[in-house]
Amino acid sequence: MRVSGRYFFAGVLALAAVLTGRAAEAPRHDLHLLVNLSGPGSGIIGRAGPARSGLYRSADRATFEHVGPHHIRMFHLTHDLRDARVVYVAALDGLLRSPDRGRTWRITTSWDMTEGKAVAFDPAEPAHLYLGLPDGIAFSPDGGGTWERRQTGITRAYTNALVVDRTRAGRVLAGCELGIHLSEDAARTWRRVRPTTKVTYDLRQSPHDPRAFVAATSADGLLASADGGETWRELPGIGRERTLHNIVYDPAAPGRLVLCGWGIGVQVSEDGGATWADRSAGLPRREVWSVAVDPDFPGRLYAAPFQEDVYASDDLGRTWRPLSFGKTTVFAFGFLPRSAP
Amino acid sequence: MKRVPAGLILLALLTAWPGGAAAQPAHTGPMPSGRPEPEAFRRREAYLARRDEAVRWRAAQTPLATAGLADLAARLALRQDAAGVSARLIEVLRTPAGDMFWMFPATCIAYLGRDQLTVEAKAALREAWRTYHPLRGDTENHWVMYYTSMLLMAQLWPGEPGDRWFNGKSSDEIAAEARTWLRHWMDLTTTVGQGEYDCTHYIGEYLIPMLYLSVWAQDPEMRQRGRMMIDYILADFAVDSLQGMYVGAHARTDDKTVLERWNGLSSFFAWLCFGNTVPPANYGGWGMFFALVADHYEVPEIIHRIATDRTGSYLNRERKRTRHRWRHSDVRNAPVYKTTWVGPDYAVGSDQGGLLQPIQQHSWGLTWAVPDPRGVHNTIFANQPFYGAEELMMYFTEMPDWMPASVTFQGKPTYTSEAKLLGGSPYEEIFQQDDTVIALHRIAPDAPFVQLNGFFSKDLARTEEDPSGWIFAQGGRAYLAFRPLAAYEWLPLEAGGRRLRSPHARNGVILQPASVADFSSWEAFKAAVRALPLEVRLDPVPRVAFTTLRGRRVECAYGEFPRVDGRTVDRAAEWKLFAGPYLNAEVGSRRLELTHGRLTRVLDFNTLTITDAVRP
Repeated sequence: MRVSGRYFFAGVLALAAVLTGRAAEAPRHDLHLLVNLSGPGSGIIGRAGPARSGLYRSADRATFEHVGPHHIRMFHLTHDLRDARVVYVAALDGLLRSPDRGRTWRITTSWDMTEGKAVAFDPAEPAHLYLGLPDGIAFSPDGGGTWERRQTGITRAYTNALVVDRTRAGRVLAGCELGIHLSEDAARTWRRVRPTTKVTYDLRQSPHDPRAFVAATSADGLLASADGGETWRELPGIGRERTLHNIVYDPAAPGRLVLCGWGIGVQVSEDGGATWADRSAGLPRREVWSVAVDPDFPGRLYAAPFQEDVYASDDLGRTWRPLSFGKTTVFAFGFLPRSAP
Repeated sequence: MKRVPAGLILLALLTAWPGGAAAQPAHTGPMPSGRPEPEAFRRREAYLARRDEAVRWRAAQTPLATAGLADLAARLALRQDAAGVSARLIEVLRTPAGDMFWMFPATCIAYLGRDQLTVEAKAALREAWRTYHPLRGDTENHWVMYYTSMLLMAQLWPGEPGDRWFNGKSSDEIAAEARTWLRHWMDLTTTVGQGEYDCTHYIGEYLIPMLYLSVWAQDPEMRQRGRMMIDYILADFAVDSLQGMYVGAHARTDDKTVLERWNGLSSFFAWLCFGNTVPPANYGGWGMFFALVADHYEVPEIIHRIATDRTGSYLNRERKRTRHRWRHSDVRNAPVYKTTWVGPDYAVGSDQGGLLQPIQQHSWGLTWAVPDPRGVHNTIFANQPFYGAEELMMYFTEMPDWMPASVTFQGKPTYTSEAKLLGGSPYEEIFQQDDTVIALHRIAPDAPFVQLNGFFSKDLARTEEDPSGWIFAQGGRAYLAFRPLAAYEWLPLEAGGRRLRSPHARNGVILQPASVADFSSWEAFKAAVRALPLEVRLDPVPRVAFTTLRGRRVECAYGEFPRVDGRTVDRAAEWKLFAGPYLNAEVGSRRLELTHGRLTRVLDFNTLTITDAVRP
């Protein structure tokens, strides 16, 4: 794909911004995107076109390198906390693992654990890996070498979001079809801490306060917890009418949250979700699949409007510029620590 | 030197190259008689001749320079030009695409070409399975194709490590996973029913992999399982067919075949295996991949006879299951209760209504027999047009809001149309007694379309709106009485015929057919239907009490179990996996018994045995 050609000018601007000192140091992370291209040459399952969907990586935030297989349904990614070269992608085929930054891959799961939606390591037990599936939750004690089901206590086990509490080993929160569930024994047993009518699509722990969590839901609004996920309240100003896809904290600014969803565009809060500013004006549509805050460039946001370019903003969404890809859906952004090639 | 006219040169070239204008004699020729062939050797001879016709047509369609996988496979099946095929294959494999729809053609070529392809072509094939990452897919037919191909290719290249395969797994791991999945699927199918059941197209995506398994699996267990599953699926088709047309309710059909009942891939299999219809154009497309290896399968006489040799009408009941449900359901696979009545002049079939499959469900309909089905819309039915993210979220794992629109760009253009004639509805309940269907609707006010659609074919011989409220019609040798329960209007259909649109939330339809032969006249039929006891109430819920032409008093109320002659019908308790004169199986049994006259065949997946018997 001619990613740097089409938006050469925008790329040059971005690169210039990088070089001229918004960030004096080189980025500490590589930007990753899980992409389903939908322009010319794209395809559907069983009728794939030549356009290469799947995992893309960018070191300079301007040019993008396709990594790994052409794959139109990759949903979430993470890395081995002990070795950032080891990348994991939850995908239609199951959980894919690359030991070498995407050069080679192995599907770590079998036929009975497919269509993975979320993957998370336990920071306190770095070999422990959790996988959210449309029919439950799987646990691996050895980084994906072996797997077992762990979803006792969850009914309607569709799981789209997982987060492992970084303060305590084996404490896991899961966003499922009928609520947010909490396990304190490495997913062996679960209890529902917040019922919902439909799926919880995203779940995050604050980088600033480990007791703070937020959850984006399909029909129950935007939820927040201040006590480690034990109790939840609905944040004002967002409503329940739209499907919320993605909620992220800004690692550089306590209190800043960025939200996106279907029909709500991009919303930014500077006060922990008490009030929201609509930052969708420069985007081509308000159906925004995913959003990200760049940990290496303060104020830099990325947004992926449905089947449009990926957009970047250097002023927290007040203005946007197209970045790359043409027509695409980005299932997830990810920032993996830069590692030796 | 004598000058050769240019026209002669062109003629010579065309003669030398048989492609392009090659005929499809069976597709364009006369309808076969449809009579059963009692002589085994003649049945076999005719079957092989049909297979040969299809394969030769495919092999001659495309010049080698532009040949695709099907063209190359056909040449290999006929052992033509192995060197040329090898060279072209290397080119084609440079741009693999199609996921599981690439995998099984590639598998077919690998096996057909084992003793024909060049070393270089084999190396290109091997490399493609390392570098190209086909997706596993998201439906059951995808997985059958995927795992069958994986098993066979792992078997072809045994003992190889993970770095030789696109998925990073070793040959042994791949084979073990594929075998486990295939066993699991066969177990589900033979205990609680097939998930994508009775599909007018996707029947091919099941039969083709099973044929490959039966022919090429080294493991005798998998060969036997493949052979038994072909019999199983083919028998299931045979019993629900009329003149080779797949009739009744389908997990999946399409906008074309739901009207022109013959025009689906299933008719290719009827043509090839039963010889009782003509094949669709291009021999059904994918059907070619069955034909290529079809000489390794012998259609059992008993299945041939079930399809072609009926004495009188019969009722067949089946239990199937929904596809996997991911959300909005407390069960992974909900039961589907099917009823199909088949007579010589028409067939009527139904499920119980509801969202049993996504997008392409066909819940009930009558198909009438025709002398030649090509271009004929020989059916009458009604549906409640529904679409929505709820349905799609149930059966797919995607985000909700974009799905309905995206479906329309993926080969299902009518999905969101109010005029759609395809798809299930959560607001529909159906009951069938013999050949009488009662469908009731209680449509939520916020449903996408608060209406029902009835299909009235361009090929109906006559249609009359009777003051009694019945609409009388005739299709072929079938008299039809169609009773909308609420007011309606007529709208023209682009494909011909008319759409009955009834825009009322509490609604329903009764269909009461009969054979022309059963009445002395059209007037007599109408008078008989008018005289049938009928009570209809629409509030607070639709409710019908109707005595059928066969004298059965049927009472249906939305949300309640139906009653027949005062007895409550509990389908969960009464419906077996198969129950009828030809096919019988208990739920959970893994055992299907086929019966026709004195012949029986038992497919026992517990013991992996096929047992044939002839009653004295």
